Amino acid sequence: MSAYLLRRVLYALPILLGVNLITFLLFFVVNTPDDMARMQLGDRRVTQAAIEKWKVERGYDRPLFWHADAGGVARATDTLFFTSTLQLFSFDFGKSDGGRDIGTDLKQRMGPSLAIAVPVLMLQLVVALAWALLLAWLRGSRFDAWSAVICVAMMSISGLFYIIGGQYLIAKLWRLVPISGYDGGLAAVRFLALPVLVGVLISLGSNVRWYRTVFLEEMGREYVRMARAKGLSDARVMFAHVLRNALIPILTGVVVLLPSLFLGALITEAFFAIPGLGSYTIDAIQAQDFAIVRTMVFLGSLLYILGLLLTDLSYVIADPRVRLE
Amino acid sequence: MDKPPIVTDTPTAAPALLEISGLRVEFGAPEAPTVAIDDLTLTIARGETLVLVGESGSGKSLTALAVTRLLPTAARITGGRVMLGGDDLFALPAAGMCAVRGRRIGFVFQEPQVALNPVMRIGDQIGEVLHQHLGLRGAERQERTVEALRAVGIPDPARRAREYPHQFSGGMKQRAMIAIALAGEPELLIADEPTTALDVTLQAQILALLKAEQRRRGMAMLFITHDFGVAWQVADRVAVLQAGRLVETAAREAFYRAPRHPYSRALFAALPKLERRVVSAPPAAAEPLLAVDNLRVEFPIRRGVLRRIVDSVRAVDGVSLRLDAGETLAVVGESGSGKTTMGRGILRLVPLAGGSVRFRGEDLAALSAAALRQRRRHLQVVFQDSYAAMNPRMLVGDIIQEGMLAQHLGASRAARETRVAELLAQVGLEAAHARRYPHEFSGGQRQRICIARALAVEPRLIVCDEPTSALDVSVQAQILDLLRDLQQRLGLAYLFITHNLGVVAQLAHRVAVMHQGVIVEEGPVEEVLFAPCHAYTQQLLAAVPKIGDGADA
Amino acid sequence: MGEFTLLTTDACLFALLAVAIVYCLQARRHEHLRAPWREVWRRPVAVGASVVLGAFMLVAVADSIHFESRAGSGDGDVLSALDIALRPLRTGSETTYSAPLAAYAYSRESVVDESGKLTRIYPRLVHGGAHLADPGREHGADVARRAAAGAASGLLGGLALSTLCVLAVARRRNRAPVAAARLLLAGRAGFPWRSLLGVSTALLIVIGICAALAPHYHVFGTDKVGNDVLYQALKSVRTGILIGLLTTLISLPFALALGIAAGYFRGPIDDAVQYLYTTLSSIPGVLLIAAAALMLDVYMTRHAADFDMLAARADLRLLALCAILGITSWTSLCRLLRAEALKLREIEFVVAAQALGVRSTTILRRHLLPNVMHIVMITTVLDFSGLVLAEAALTYIDIGVDPSMDSWGNMINGARLELAREPAVWWSLAAAMSFMFALVLAANLFADAVRDAFDPRLRQFGADRDLPAATRES
Repeated sequence: MSAYLLRRVLYALPILLGVNLITFLLFFVVNTPDDMARMQLGDRRVTQAAIEKWKVERGYDRPLFWHADAGGVARATDTLFFTSTLQLFSFDFGKSDGGRDIGTDLKQRMGPSLAIAVPVLMLQLVVALAWALLLAWLRGSRFDAWSAVICVAMMSISGLFYIIGGQYLIAKLWRLVPISGYDGGLAAVRFLALPVLVGVLISLGSNVRWYRTVFLEEMGREYVRMARAKGLSDARVMFAHVLRNALIPILTGVVVLLPSLFLGALITEAFFAIPGLGSYTIDAIQAQDFAIVRTMVFLGSLLYILGLLLTDLSYVIADPRVRLE
Repeated sequence: MDKPPIVTDTPTAAPALLEISGLRVEFGAPEAPTVAIDDLTLTIARGETLVLVGESGSGKSLTALAVTRLLPTAARITGGRVMLGGDDLFALPAAGMCAVRGRRIGFVFQEPQVALNPVMRIGDQIGEVLHQHLGLRGAERQERTVEALRAVGIPDPARRAREYPHQFSGGMKQRAMIAIALAGEPELLIADEPTTALDVTLQAQILALLKAEQRRRGMAMLFITHDFGVAWQVADRVAVLQAGRLVETAAREAFYRAPRHPYSRALFAALPKLERRVVSAPPAAAEPLLAVDNLRVEFPIRRGVLRRIVDSVRAVDGVSLRLDAGETLAVVGESGSGKTTMGRGILRLVPLAGGSVRFRGEDLAALSAAALRQRRRHLQVVFQDSYAAMNPRMLVGDIIQEGMLAQHLGASRAARETRVAELLAQVGLEAAHARRYPHEFSGGQRQRICIARALAVEPRLIVCDEPTSALDVSVQAQILDLLRDLQQRLGLAYLFITHNLGVVAQLAHRVAVMHQGVIVEEGPVEEVLFAPCHAYTQQLLAAVPKIGDGADA
Repeated sequence: MGEFTLLTTDACLFALLAVAIVYCLQARRHEHLRAPWREVWRRPVAVGASVVLGAFMLVAVADSIHFESRAGSGDGDVLSALDIALRPLRTGSETTYSAPLAAYAYSRESVVDESGKLTRIYPRLVHGGAHLADPGREHGADVARRAAAGAASGLLGGLALSTLCVLAVARRRNRAPVAAARLLLAGRAGFPWRSLLGVSTALLIVIGICAALAPHYHVFGTDKVGNDVLYQALKSVRTGILIGLLTTLISLPFALALGIAAGYFRGPIDDAVQYLYTTLSSIPGVLLIAAAALMLDVYMTRHAADFDMLAARADLRLLALCAILGITSWTSLCRLLRAEALKLREIEFVVAAQALGVRSTTILRRHLLPNVMHIVMITTVLDFSGLVLAEAALTYIDIGVDPSMDSWGNMINGARLELAREPAVWWSLAAAMSFMFALVLAANLFADAVRDAFDPRLRQFGADRDLPAATRES
């Protein structure tokens, strides 16, 4: 089993390298550093000297993959690809195009992102599981039918509507919470209440329906018939047998969502002006800050791969059949 | 149409425990229902074993589920009543029914593989019943759980109770399920085909266990099976179901001596019996059609961080056999013996680890992929699951033509279609069937289409991989007749893979017994089946439930 | 009207329509394709949803037949059939915001009246309610009268359609029209006619009302620069539908070819494909799209000369967005297809084909491909609604479609800050949201029916239940 996990960890390396290659191609080959410099320096009449200076400042003056003039190993190492890859892999993200230190920014913005994402994830899971369990129990009833209608309607509403509607209704008309912004410490609760509510609502419909399907699939299995044949009550069958088995696909599905914990819901953060990683990324996109976007792509992928590893691990923990593989 | 009258015996003197009267179960829309069980009346006395026999779709499992009110959602009880020791089961509230299930009626299902909860320890699955019905907790419950496992013959029960179902073998799982069913000390045990998913040797053990427990506890048993041999082993009385209707009930000896209902008699006639039958073998040719020498098939076991091959499972471990034109060689063995893999190895449908497969002197194992594709027209295969064996999205005509196209047989589409019509006639179907889809046919008809597909490329040898195992006995007899008939007309050779020794006796000239990847005994049917030398063969034969022996004495 | 031109996305949409038509013809001939569709058409919800989807599709197609206007006509550079049909809406713009159906502008303006006094009044609109002499008195009655007339004509159209259907059924079943009508009303005609005709009539009534009011009023008001919001919302239909469809069209060939090949051949091909999709899917979608959009911007700025035409530029950007979305979404389909192919390769009919000497490529085409198409079908319809919603979200963070393009995302983006005004400017948002909701809801309902009909696994659902004992005879 440990060999299996170790293998998964090792497998992450070539994938990260692949991700890095893709972003490198996207950022430095499709468009040359010269283009970026022109874009950043803004002016069409910018001098070549200024461009060169901009490039040297960022180390973008090296050749892309192969340094023909250098000698020995430096031919491969004294290149843009090698140095930038090495930097990312050693978590040295350098300075943004705007001149700020990316590492410091990340540390600062992680907190607010987590403060929004963790409650959303937890509440989401609890609410959706409870609702879905009730539906599976009362399958075929009027409650089940109406819930299906509500869920499809909820799925069909744009997330933007929840955000804008919530801000208008709860914050502007009812004045229960501030429209947007963020504050440290306990005061954050006031600012977080609405974004968390919106975050839960956005994917509630589809989650409830998915969980209900998982529950029903489990309830059709032979071991459930067996449990009923033992004379167990409906509640006992649902909680001791169905729920336990259904949690395996559900929980492992949740683990993959972990990257969103750090990135937050990009749009939610931007709308509510919460200084997290999501709004950081959006600001960078709007300011066309290549260094930040590239860092975020790398980190995002890293977290996703971490999520996959955790999924494997959670399978091992949740499912005895995998445990002794 | 006149239906033959229902034949019933006189009720036994013992007091009735379970009384089913006028039971009716329907499927589908209430306006146009499909009747699955029609006016079924049965009684089981205390301590008695009633065996419900019937072919697939006769409603025997539904009867058991209806009694315990565990029918699938699509089915409804629309009439009748079920009395258990004086209590009307259909009148009980849901909670009352919970007190009956597991406590007064124990239930053993067909497939232990899927009937046990995969993420719950075996001990807990038993303890649950003890807690629910007997109110046991803590150490006492623990003790009784271990006791229950010991009673069904599970070694080291204290340790085993802490294990999960996947750590148990098939036979052990079925024992565990019986332990669960017996934990509530029921008055009635319902066993729904409890041994069908098991090999004969395990089947014999489980039957003996059930019978012993029944006798020890004085419990009544409703036992469901499609196998008359098994029925003989356990029954006090036998009831025969045909398409949802009970056609005959009789005491065991009377029933087996002379079944009275025509349907029962037809079933008996179709039964492949393990008895001597003169099958004249074709004259041995100088050169065999097929000569397999030291064939090996291995599946690699990968371990460690780099998934290196550290070992391999030797599924087929050096098998040699020969087969003449027009001859049938049966390969028998239990599941996991490697017989199916050997069949696929001979056809090179799995990679070979070694050995040679000489077909008319040419080694198939050494051929290139392109050359092998050409030779494939001489060796064909028929599978067990005729439903999976045909692409559901193709017409029967296209399915049969597939091989002709691949082997460039038949000059034009018209010529191929004529040939398809011929082939369909040959296997007893109609030309018009070519324009239908596989799912429109019954199991027996589908197997006929699969045979026609194999015949389309004019093979010399057909590997038949359990072709009748999924079929009811009456249909099985027809397919066996067809195969025999085709062999006589076309001079085909069959490599017939099966676990059913009765079928072997009916069809084969020679038989090879396979065990753990090797052939342990091989020879003419007369010798191997009726005077076996090898211990494993003897054990296998002894385990086959035979009608009329004294297993019940 | 000018010369017919074909934008790249138009060509894609027409190609897609052609594929759909070919598929329909195929499906008619093959029972295994027809059976699940029959199942879909048995459901009233699916039929109702498909009417709505059809209406949206019609708008999208009309908006994809483009003409290049002659020089000097003063219109935009490229016009579609829809633009021409909606000419009054397109040209009847005001100076700034106006509320739905208003006759006066949203904000006061300083005007010098006849007496030479400077007053701040709500001026009359140039087009909205311009035919009214005294809006204060006539406005309500006029709107009501026109709406009623529109609704009546819509209802009439619905009734005419129903009559046609009744006659068709009567002819087909050899019944008297009255008997056929009764059959239809009772819902026993074998097809959910009630749902079809009900939704169609409702739709016709809505269209009738809009058509009656639109020439004289701005039904959904006007936006900041005075453009008609209803017109924008209608123009956005094409963008939404294109994103929903083209993305799948682009990703499908990759997913199919790689997924099936990986599952069937296994070994190194499988390893390579798995590596590829794991790598691609490990980049968070939004970030990949953001990075690609950013790079596209740089590219377009550098090659500005190649994108002189506004429409062509916006069109290319839309296509690029579809491509990027396709790259981020093919991986999940590919994963599903690989898993299915892994299962199929062990199934006996594939083994039987191998035993018959059928070539691998033929096996892939004849046995694997048709047996994974239900997955493709289900994924396509399920993804559609998600993609339409994604467009709005992506456009909001500036990585979606071109800002000059009509899209619901751009409408929401432009209007979201105006809610803070007093009184709130809500109509752009409301229009975009309700159009999007209608399309996505219809797509979701339709997707549900398709999934239920095509997924064999779902059919055996239905857990066991304790049967009510009350059914037994008393």
